[in-house]
Amino acid sequence: MNHFVFPKWSNFAAPALVIIALIVPGYALSVVYYGGSPRTTDVGYEPAQPVEYSHALHVGKLGIDCRYCHTTVESSAQASIPPTQTCMNCHKQIRAESRKLLPMKQSHATGMPIEWIRVHDLPDYVYFNHSAHVTRGVSCVSCHGRVDKMQVVYQKETLSMAWCLDCHRRPEKHLREQEFVTQLDWTPGEDPLTYGLRIRERNNINPSTDCSTCHR
Amino acid sequence: MSKSVIIGGMIAALLALLPLLFIARARVVRSDRTRIHLIQDMDNQPKFKAQSSNPLFADRRAMRPRVLGTVAREQLNEDTRLYLGMSNGEFVPTNPLPITEALLKRGQERYDIFCAACHGLAGYGDGMVAIRADELQEGTWTPPTSYHNDLMREREDGHLFNTITNGIRNMAAYGPQIPAQDRWAIVAYIRALQRSQNAKLEDVPEELRASLR
Ligand code: HEC
Ligand code: HEC
Ligand code: HEC
Ligand code: HEC
Ligand code: HEC
Ligand code: HEC
Repeated sequence: MNHFVFPKWSNFAAPALVIIALIVPGYALSVVYYGGSPRTTDVGYEPAQPVEYSHALHVGKLGIDCRYCHTTVESSAQASIPPTQTCMNCHKQIRAESRKLLPMKQSHATGMPIEWIRVHDLPDYVYFNHSAHVTRGVSCVSCHGRVDKMQVVYQKETLSMAWCLDCHRRPEKHLREQEFVTQLDWTPGEDPLTYGLRIRERNNINPSTDCSTCHR
Repeated sequence: MSKSVIIGGMIAALLALLPLLFIARARVVRSDRTRIHLIQDMDNQPKFKAQSSNPLFADRRAMRPRVLGTVAREQLNEDTRLYLGMSNGEFVPTNPLPITEALLKRGQERYDIFCAACHGLAGYGDGMVAIRADELQEGTWTPPTSYHNDLMREREDGHLFNTITNGIRNMAAYGPQIPAQDRWAIVAYIRALQRSQNAKLEDVPEELRASLR
């Protein structure tokens, strides 16, 4: 009779199967969890823009205030990207012949706007408002990172709901006097938490976590 | 047999590490590829948001400029003193807004945002942009005017306002960037700057004069 004999390695099959059964779901879960998290899919998005405009040069080196260009950031929901005219305030005279500024010149001559590519983009069902944050002393740096050091703007934070709520529950360490909101390198010079708590107390800042604040 | 199973298992395990490596890479490297967006929900709705594009119009702007010859509600701006700095075709000599500390503070803030880059924080025309433009030596740049000479001190407030609104010679118009009230606040602040750089001892309250000597 030709008996079937299990090969010797099959002794390990059972424990191996158990180990695999433990590892595979954990593995699959972590791939989905980490792979699907906005920190992987969204953060670090750095689209190439139609003009090589650099915040590091204009803000970091020349010291132009954010509100010179993003004029509506304190008064409306949008910060707004500046129109070509704003750039031409200076570039009619400065580096007027530069190859890098050719698209601006064309846009100025034809009236066709420059099509900048959106970096930060919330889903369309979320209501966000810049003025509500900037006039209550939340600095650009809390949500956009050190823009004054960026050659090309990229997304620094996740912009997920968890991220919004984290700050809405504990805004202290992001608060400062309103006059410093556009100074991205500003520090309170004392413990940020006690400083923030004082500001929060004084200005009575209580960000809402009701669903209707952001979904309406 | 057992060897091939072991090798196969090892290859599978190595391949299984690849997605984790890609994920780790995506978490540290910045990229200009469009964001991966598996579950769309209602993230991108067929509506036009501020500053988005609309292919129906020749200039592709979804936000339409005001039609020529029309006036939007609440933008009639009839008060020529306030909105043009003129009355009866002449520049108004003084600021139509009451000069308060709040107005000056606002003016200082707005001046530092919109003017200091060229005109300098104290108004001598030595802002960072002016310095850099001088260094470039391109021949197209006119230095910003200093506010601290008799000609500038004698300009009417309405003239300064008009300069901000419509620009002057080589300076661009700042009317579109700054609301009228803020332009008047800046005018008031420029007046304060001028006084601060041209003060005589008599301008200092008597009890403080001793501390200056
Ligand atoms: C000289 C004009 C100018 C100044 C000053 C300026 N910006 Fe910008 N900003 C732009 C332009 C033009 C764009 C669009 C191109 C781009 O994304 O790089 C932009 C884009 C951005 C974006 C990305 C918007 C998006 O698409 O999501 C952020 C965030 C931003 N700016 C923040 C700031 C902050 C913070 C400051 C002040 C520290 C500042 N900017 C100062 C002109 C300016
Ligand atoms: C307040 C003045 C000012 C404004 C407003 C301004 N710039 Fe500039 N920009 C400068 C100066 C000054 C330089 C030259 C800096 C240098 O070469 O060191 C420069 C340089 C540049 C350069 C590099 C040119 C080259 O050949 O290297 C680009 C591109 C540019 N700007 C784009 C823009 C865009 C786009 C805007 C509008 C969003 C803008 N700038 C608004 C002052 C300004
Ligand atoms: C509380 C967080 C937060 C703060 C503070 C903040 N931003 Fe934003 N910003 C966002 C979010 C979120 C978006 C994306 C909005 C969207 O997709 O509708 C955005 C978008 C932008 C844009 C793109 C154009 C637009 O209006 O949507 C610019 C430019 C910008 N921010 C500039 C600024 C500047 C300048 C400041 C500081 C004066 C600032 N932001 C402060 C969260 C913030
Ligand atoms: C860094 C802190 C911080 C982050 C991040 C943040 N917020 Fe806020 N938010 C605040 C503060 C502070 C207020 C002002 C609360 C007050 O006025 O009492 C506020 C107010 C608001 C308001 C106005 C509420 C009202 O009563 O009108 C809205 C809407 C809002 N946030 C939406 C968002 C959304 C959406 C996000 C995420 C994309 C977000 N916020 C992220 C700190 C933050
Ligand atoms: C501070 C602002 C804020 C508040 C408050 C808030 N949300 Fe959100 N919510 C967001 C943002 C931002 C997103 C988009 C997140 C993203 O891009 O993945 C979101 C997304 C969602 C989504 C879609 C999630 C998905 O990925 O499919 C649901 C559902 C939702 N919110 C429900 C709620 C409910 C229910 C509440 C009240 C308990 C609430 N939200 C309160 C900001 C907020
Ligand atoms: C991009 C640089 C720049 C900025 C920003 C700028 N200016 Fe000027 N300004 C100039 C230049 C250049 C001149 C000289 C123009 C000439 O003589 O051709 C000038 C001239 C002037 C004059 C003198 C006009 C006269 O009567 O002879 C005044 C007043 C003035 N600016 C006010 C302002 C105010 C107020 C602001 C802020 C809202 C401002 N400027 C912002 C560049 C600038």
